[in-house]
Amino acid sequence: MLAEERRRRLLDAMAQAGIAEMVLYGNAWQADYLRYAADFGILEGHGIAVVSADGTTELFLDSATEAERAEAEVPGATIHIATDIARAVGARLDRVANHRIAAAPRRFVPNWLAQKSRSFALEDGTALIDTLLMHKLPGEIAVLRRAAQMADDAYAVFRQAVTPGRRQYELVADIEAYLRSRGCPDNFMIIGSGGKDVLGMTPPSERSIMPGDLVTTELTPALEGYFVQICRTLVVGKANDAQRRAFDIFREALEAGIAAVRPGATAGDVARAENDVFRKYGLGDYTTSKWTRVRGHGLGLFCDSKPHLLEDVETPLVPGMALIVHPNTYHPEAGYLVLGDALVVTERGAEVLCRTPRELFEVAA
Amino acid sequence: MRRGLISRSLTELPDAVLDARLARLRAAMTEARLDALIIYTNNTRAAGVSWLTGFVPYWSEALLVVPLAREPVLVVALTYRVKSWIERTSRVAEVIHTPRIGVEAARMIAAAQADAEVGIVDLDGLSAGIVDDLREGGPRLVLSNASALFAKLRAEADPAEVALATKAALIAQTALAQASGQSLSDVIAAVELRAREFGAEEIYMAAAPDLGRDRRFRRVEGDVSAGESFALRATVAYKGAWVRLVRSFGRAAPNDQAAARFAAAVAQLPGERGFDAFSSWLVEGCRIAQPLEPLMGSQVTDAKPPAPRALVSVQACLEIDGRPMLLGAPALLGGRGEAAGLLVQLF
Repeated sequence: MLAEERRRRLLDAMAQAGIAEMVLYGNAWQADYLRYAADFGILEGHGIAVVSADGTTELFLDSATEAERAEAEVPGATIHIATDIARAVGARLDRVANHRIAAAPRRFVPNWLAQKSRSFALEDGTALIDTLLMHKLPGEIAVLRRAAQMADDAYAVFRQAVTPGRRQYELVADIEAYLRSRGCPDNFMIIGSGGKDVLGMTPPSERSIMPGDLVTTELTPALEGYFVQICRTLVVGKANDAQRRAFDIFREALEAGIAAVRPGATAGDVARAENDVFRKYGLGDYTTSKWTRVRGHGLGLFCDSKPHLLEDVETPLVPGMALIVHPNTYHPEAGYLVLGDALVVTERGAEVLCRTPRELFEVAA
Repeated sequence: MRRGLISRSLTELPDAVLDARLARLRAAMTEARLDALIIYTNNTRAAGVSWLTGFVPYWSEALLVVPLAREPVLVVALTYRVKSWIERTSRVAEVIHTPRIGVEAARMIAAAQADAEVGIVDLDGLSAGIVDDLREGGPRLVLSNASALFAKLRAEADPAEVALATKAALIAQTALAQASGQSLSDVIAAVELRAREFGAEEIYMAAAPDLGRDRRFRRVEGDVSAGESFALRATVAYKGAWVRLVRSFGRAAPNDQAAARFAAAVAQLPGERGFDAFSSWLVEGCRIAQPLEPLMGSQVTDAKPPAPRALVSVQACLEIDGRPMLLGAPALLGGRGEAAGLLVQLF
């Protein structure tokens, strides 16, 4: 079972680092550290897992509804409901205050728990867990492959859903319902529609789809907690020449980024390969933070995992990492475009997981 | 991460309502001698900032800075590219974008008064990294916990909050009425589709797939078969208002008598006696920023009974002929001497 494999790997890492207790914080936004250790996908409130060197796991949740769900979903852990989880975890750690205790992500733990006046000290265990999160086990890669298939299937549904007159949130409703019908419990999705006035993607609005719109989306379904993303752009009606020319640049940038993925390269090398294509066409300004956030990122138990693909990120790529390469940004003649594929780093380079063609799709106006 | 409809309606959440809430906050700050107040928000603890501004982050995090004598400022970790989205969906005078929101919020306050008294809502639960950044950005600021001050202000729901919660409850009720399909996944998909089509900001579906074996709710993943009795729980958000509805199906489908017993128990809240005949029960509501925090119930050891006119969501389990029936709906507590009432009927 994958959760058990992760737990054994975590315990090995703790033993090697000489850590007796690991404190893992999570909420629905930053859920990956908690999920890795406790295999609980938190939705509401805060959660903290305390994993001891002997393998016991205690999960502290401040939502009674979530605690009941955890009891059903995580039979191997001891579940505690505590409206003040900082003090509840503190009382637990008081008993082992002379042990080496690490927390991850350290900066997210509740302030009360991290204060110097506590009987225990929380070392920063973030880097240790980050390594486990980034370097996937074969079983994790297998789940990512299934999630990628789900992403491809969901994008096909999205293409059918986009018709003039429908509102953005109705399109998202279709996708979410489709994913639930397939037994897929989670997804992250943002969307954009319109022309050159659109600068990025956001949660869906009440805006209706119009003929001529560029419709962008990044779709990120999760299976067993593992997120895989796909980014595509479509045109409502026939794409014009400017849109096609712009899209060709994005495709070239994506392909350059994927070609740069290999063991020994860095996250920065991939971003640079993407951005060099834009610079070649005089569009270097549009690779800056004014127009784009990242040129891709890690995938796994969080939809925006480390490493971020930015030119100044020197994280080395190693086999077993999962990434999305997406040169998403604004193009001055076409508007905001997105194109991205999920992949796994292998000894030979990139194994692309997404199968949806890299096309500027057209749907009936 | 939130992916439903996030939008501002000037009809449902008029400026005058937000102004009145802000005025009450400033009066409390004056009484507490606070120069500024800071409230944290992310997509799981959004209810404090959304109560004052309507802002709900779909992911990432932000701090709302409320100076005593100036307009509130939202300091967000979201990038500049979503500034216009934030301005469309909320009401704040100024939005500042920075990855280190604590440093920027503290600098802003300290620039006006280096040793300002700053109340922080949920100071103990705030991320340690943000508190470190607040101390870095304003080393002479005097930070104190303003949780009690803020909780007191929003204990009683105002008419706009009640209206939004009622709309959320109607969405959940209408969606649960669509619960049909060949598999449990199909049933959940049908409910979720309806809720999102009606403009839900979010919906979390959970199921107790076979009440004959286990009455606990879980998230459904993969192929899960429904027993002859099962239950669904729809947790629905609409423009920042969160409610839960629970409904049992099959042999455990509720009847008028069960519904009446549930309503009678709810009517006695914050008194607990009405739930004596139930095998378990839970009352949740918003005190500070978490939309549905446990307030009282059979498993809650640290009860915080809701105030008069507070909005709550109630879940309970009734045993009938040895079979569990799960029920749940949001309610509005009565004023002094008044009975609490359900926002919508159970079915």
